[in-house]
Amino acid sequence: MKAGILIGGLVVVGALVAVLYSGFGHDPRAIKSPLIHRTAPDFSLERVDGKGTLSLAQLEGKPAVINFWATWCDPCKEELPVLLQAARGAKGVQFVGIVYEDDPANIENALARHGGAAYPTLIDKGGHAAIAYGVAGVPETFFLDRTGHIVAKFPGPLEPDELQGYLAEIRGSGS
Amino acid sequence: MSSLGSLLVLAALLASVVGAALAFAGGARKVPAAVEWARRLAYAFAALLLAANVVMEVALLKLDFSVHYVAEVGSREVPMWVRGVSLWSSLEGSILFWGLVLGVYVVLGARTLKRFPREEPWGLGVLLACGTFFAFLIAGPASPFGTVSPVPPDGPGPNPLLQNSPLMIIHPPMLYLGYVGMVVPFALAAAALFSGKLGPALLQSLRRWTIVPWLFLTVGIILGAWWAYDVLGWGGYWGWDPVENAPLMPWLTAAAAVHAMLVIERRKVLRGWAVGLVLTSFLLTILGTFMTRSGVFNSVHAFSQSNIGPTFLTFLALCLVFSVLLLALRMDKLGRPGNLEQAVSREGFVVLGNLVLVVIMLTVLLGTVFPLIAQAVEGIQVSVGEPYFDRMTVPLAVAVLFLMGIGPALPWGRSGAQEWKPLIASAVAGAVLAALGLVLGARDPWLLVTLFAAGLTLHVTLVEMFRPVAQRLKHGRGLVAALKDELGAGRRRLGGYLAHLGIVVALVAVGVSHVGKLENDVTLTQGQSAAVGHYVFKLGGIRTVNEPQRQRLVAHFDVLRDGKPVGALEPALNYYFTQREPIGTPAVRTSLTDDFYLSAMSVDPGSGTVGLRAFVNPMVGWLWVGALIVAAGLLLAGWPRGRTAEAAALEAEAQGASVPSAAPAEPA
Repeated sequence: MKAGILIGGLVVVGALVAVLYSGFGHDPRAIKSPLIHRTAPDFSLERVDGKGTLSLAQLEGKPAVINFWATWCDPCKEELPVLLQAARGAKGVQFVGIVYEDDPANIENALARHGGAAYPTLIDKGGHAAIAYGVAGVPETFFLDRTGHIVAKFPGPLEPDELQGYLAEIRGSGS
Repeated sequence: MSSLGSLLVLAALLASVVGAALAFAGGARKVPAAVEWARRLAYAFAALLLAANVVMEVALLKLDFSVHYVAEVGSREVPMWVRGVSLWSSLEGSILFWGLVLGVYVVLGARTLKRFPREEPWGLGVLLACGTFFAFLIAGPASPFGTVSPVPPDGPGPNPLLQNSPLMIIHPPMLYLGYVGMVVPFALAAAALFSGKLGPALLQSLRRWTIVPWLFLTVGIILGAWWAYDVLGWGGYWGWDPVENAPLMPWLTAAAAVHAMLVIERRKVLRGWAVGLVLTSFLLTILGTFMTRSGVFNSVHAFSQSNIGPTFLTFLALCLVFSVLLLALRMDKLGRPGNLEQAVSREGFVVLGNLVLVVIMLTVLLGTVFPLIAQAVEGIQVSVGEPYFDRMTVPLAVAVLFLMGIGPALPWGRSGAQEWKPLIASAVAGAVLAALGLVLGARDPWLLVTLFAAGLTLHVTLVEMFRPVAQRLKHGRGLVAALKDELGAGRRRLGGYLAHLGIVVALVAVGVSHVGKLENDVTLTQGQSAAVGHYVFKLGGIRTVNEPQRQRLVAHFDVLRDGKPVGALEPALNYYFTQREPIGTPAVRTSLTDDFYLSAMSVDPGSGTVGLRAFVNPMVGWLWVGALIVAAGLLLAGWPRGRTAEAAALEAEAQGASVPSAAPAEPA
């Protein structure tokens, strides 16, 4: 019997299996945003409804939800009613939609189908805001506390209870 | 359909469980009748899985959407051939197909083992134990035969990427034949450890059955690279993705194992090492399957998140522990560890080559699992990119090139100053190739070293390849007769050198294409042109092609090389109706010196503009040529010898004699 092979082999096997096992439960595609805990990048964008522009500074120290979306994206359209409903019910939280690579007519149509806009929707011409926020794909939603720091980022469509969880978090923090 | 399929899989599971138990019990208690029954159950296992695959194929072709897997990948919109190959387009189907391939190998392994009564029970037991795991996987965690209710009228069809190229018909089966095939040498090696003896006849079988999956891995890897190059449209063929690394690792250890067996034949040492390498090759195929199917690794075509991960990890852990225990407890029985009498000799270089191949494998393994380690230890997300792999593997690959040249130039067993003399001519050949590279514009130091090593090895390989022919000619045999001898008695040797030749060609192609790549990203409107390298391309127009399952936007480019028209290229974007994002089809013009490669990123028929990436990839065509030569060499080296030679080896073993050493020297 070779004790060296036995012990060495079992140590290597144990380490390998432990490392592989640790991989379960993590989505290897989920990439954390380096922006978390940092001040949100500023933007100043035109509103879809033609009522001028909106910038981050204008949110006046309210917690905010910034949702990047587009009408050509099916998951975004599924997510839209969830956001609209939450925005109508949420007091003290400012929702902002930023449209990525789309035209205003499509947006107005989509909003109208869900009972009209409940929060400002902005057009990101040239995708500068999306680049500043490191948007990898739509929908992607950023949660800001009242000091304008990014608390969390959520890739993909939000479910109502997930959204409520984040809202509670940004209402409570940064005060 | 669903219940028939499930029933067949459950029967296969039963056959493998009972068969494995009978085989191990029959071996331990020396009951030949039990082993006989285990063999019959092995055949039954294969037949049942074949039948289950036939049932699934019928369901796929007839679009029986009540079957879970058909509902997942079937579609009325796709052509018949796509329906047929959908069997391996998604997770559950591919595991079922895996089962079929395993069945074939279990039969082949069982037939080989029949000739080794002492080892047969253990080998059969290991084969059927692996069969048990896969049958369990197909029956439970990855069952494709579930029923769907209500039955949907239509399905989404298989992943469009897979519909986009006929290469997908052939690439996965080749890779499976390589992956699954490692189970046969694994069973033979484990059986040798159980019985405590690795005689010449078993060694020959082990060698051949290691070459078979090694050959299929070669073909599978290169088809995967070709597919990435021809379909994915990023202009390259290798990205160190886990799915690419997965088959590369067992390929490396199988290469090391086959070479170590050469030393066993001549010096009767390294038995434990070679057997360990064979076991490792199998374990790496299981690890590779885990990587691509567990959802734990981020990879270009990791199958979607699935619940087979934990089951697979359990199997991997069991196989690892089994292998370590077997090696630790039984390796001593295989013979003295032994020392090489001469370090600077052909066997010395084989050992060195073995070590380098294993180090490359460990480097690739570390790079592949590093993101998991970082996540587990530091909680950070990192990815190990091309820079790590390139920096680590380039020097090691160059080392392999040198060893492939110097080793075969040295004789077995002895060394002296005079043995190095023939290498002077080879070094001159290396210098000539490096100088040629310098003249043609190569400035990268690693590329120049690669060219030098390649020239040296090419010279040694060609000289060694034709040495026997030259000797026979000298002894008065005709050229045709001499060549015939070489293809007959010298087949193994010729195959080995041919494989070396192919590796040299492929590595030079990899080096040159990596260093000399040119790229230009442009957006053109109709009539505009752009240039990359000595190619100019002009957008002639865009046309729309409607097909049942997709719409194609085809851009037409007229191509000039050094000012002369050399034809047209038509890269396209394909919009599958079941998929949001379009999938491109790049267009490639291959020549002996370089590939001109156009990949459309956006096509707008309205404004008549095309955004595209244009590449000049030097020598990529030679990579495929080199791989083909390697495959041909392995085919030749692994081709079964005639019955008489086999019988002679068995007889020699019975008499306790060693393998005849009169045969011409093997490549190192």
